[in-house]
Amino acid sequence: MARYFENDAGELVPDALSGFARAHADLVAYDPADGFFTARQASPARRVGLLSGGGSGHEPLHAGYVGAGMLDAACPGRVFASPHNRQIYRASRAVAGPEGVLHIVKNYTGDRINFGIAAERLADAGITCARVLIDDDLASDSEEIASGRRGTGATMLIEKVLGGAADTGMGLGALVDLGTSLAGRSRTLAAASAAHNAPATGEPAFGLLPGELEYGVGIHGERADRTRSQGSVDALVDDMTGALLDALRPGPDDPVVALVNGLGSVTSLELYGIFGELARVLDARRVRLARHLVGDYVTALDMRGFSLTLMVADHDTLGFYDAPVRTPALRW
Amino acid sequence: MTTAAFDGTRTREWIRRFADSVYATEAELTALDQRAGDGDFGTNLATGVRAAGLLLDRTDESAGPAETLGTMATAFLDEIGGTSGPLFGLLFQALSRAAADSGPGLTTAALADGTAQGLAAIRRVGDASPGDKTLVDALDPAAAALRAAGTAPPATALATAADGAWRGVRDTASLSARMGRASYLGERATGIPDPGAVGIALFFASAAGTVPALGPHLRPTG
Repeated sequence: MARYFENDAGELVPDALSGFARAHADLVAYDPADGFFTARQASPARRVGLLSGGGSGHEPLHAGYVGAGMLDAACPGRVFASPHNRQIYRASRAVAGPEGVLHIVKNYTGDRINFGIAAERLADAGITCARVLIDDDLASDSEEIASGRRGTGATMLIEKVLGGAADTGMGLGALVDLGTSLAGRSRTLAAASAAHNAPATGEPAFGLLPGELEYGVGIHGERADRTRSQGSVDALVDDMTGALLDALRPGPDDPVVALVNGLGSVTSLELYGIFGELARVLDARRVRLARHLVGDYVTALDMRGFSLTLMVADHDTLGFYDAPVRTPALRW
Repeated sequence: MTTAAFDGTRTREWIRRFADSVYATEAELTALDQRAGDGDFGTNLATGVRAAGLLLDRTDESAGPAETLGTMATAFLDEIGGTSGPLFGLLFQALSRAAADSGPGLTTAALADGTAQGLAAIRRVGDASPGDKTLVDALDPAAAALRAAGTAPPATALATAADGAWRGVRDTASLSARMGRASYLGERATGIPDPGAVGIALFFASAAGTVPALGPHLRPTG
């Protein structure tokens, strides 16, 4: 049990959104009536507006990635709930470029439907719209799961690469192809030693005994299909990395981008230890670790867990990834 | 365009009767949805027709069918939470577009085109097929009936669409759900018609008159 620092559970998201807008007023503009953030600066070369969104509770995803070099707009929903189609529709109209707007959507039923409704409205209004669906979660890779793999950590990497690509003036069709290809070349696996606590009650979404680990956990309190003992971190990272590499099978010359991501309550000390183990495993397997990020990038409220994402890149992808970015949560 | 085409006044009357039907059956819809969904569908549909009514009250009486249906679309798309209500909005958006493309009056051909386009949009968005126990099970036979109606007057064509939709509603009672909230219940939702499908049937049936209660329409026939 963990009490949230909040005035009221119903006010947690709106209070955070207005605080975020104030804190980053130099980078983003907030429309509280229609519920979306837009970037204050964008490259004049950009021909397509990039938009994402999803439930709150995954901060800094998505609003933290609005700004020059990355997203043009983000639509936050309530905690773990899809944004309404109205938010997406109006934000899309606000940021559509001469070649339209690209929706970057995590694969969840609610997000797919609401982004889909917004896309139908945009088509009716004569605005070109296309979608990249992110489905990188290896744990939900099963023929028994009709909705397919979930979208998780790779979302922010793909948003960064597409932002860099869009700034070169890349057209809508090429961005869709690139994003879809990147989603196919990215996999994530998450593990948690404690669930997130619900903002309304402070109660954990599920219970684990000390020393137990949920292996393949989702980012909304979905349990994994396996509970195992936590064991040592080197063995755990070994297993997770092995599973990711088995799924992705990078060639010896392929540059790989790695994301070691905290899910809310794991310390930076632990994350760097985990990164060290990841780098060791990749070196031993002769995988070329080209770029990496370590920190809290796609969270699940205060879940005590982490995820590993690997993306098999190429020369162009690294160029787009390295391009300048200036957002509340990512800048170089 | 035949003289029987719906003008703005007839379209408005249709919408008003649809609203009356939703209010008259809201409790029954809620009861259905509590057994096979999360229980908010009746309220959501009522929110939609209420929002549409408020917008239509501010619209000029001389507004044509396209504008009237467009107002419905905006209300359902913008003002209803969840997903079923906004999906109705996509049907109204497509009907509005078809009405605008076909001229001042709402013809049977425009109704058939709009319903087919609305069905296609809803299927794209929801990834639902006939037989999945969703509103598609009522909308698909309604669209087929309108297409088959050819040059019949709109009132006649809409009556056959309503018959098809009610038949689809009754079929949903024998299905277990693959999509939507009811899918989590599996076999336990069998025997209960899909509330979204009922809403579609109410819409087409309202072209002829108000539906005061669901009971008679949900009994198996033939």
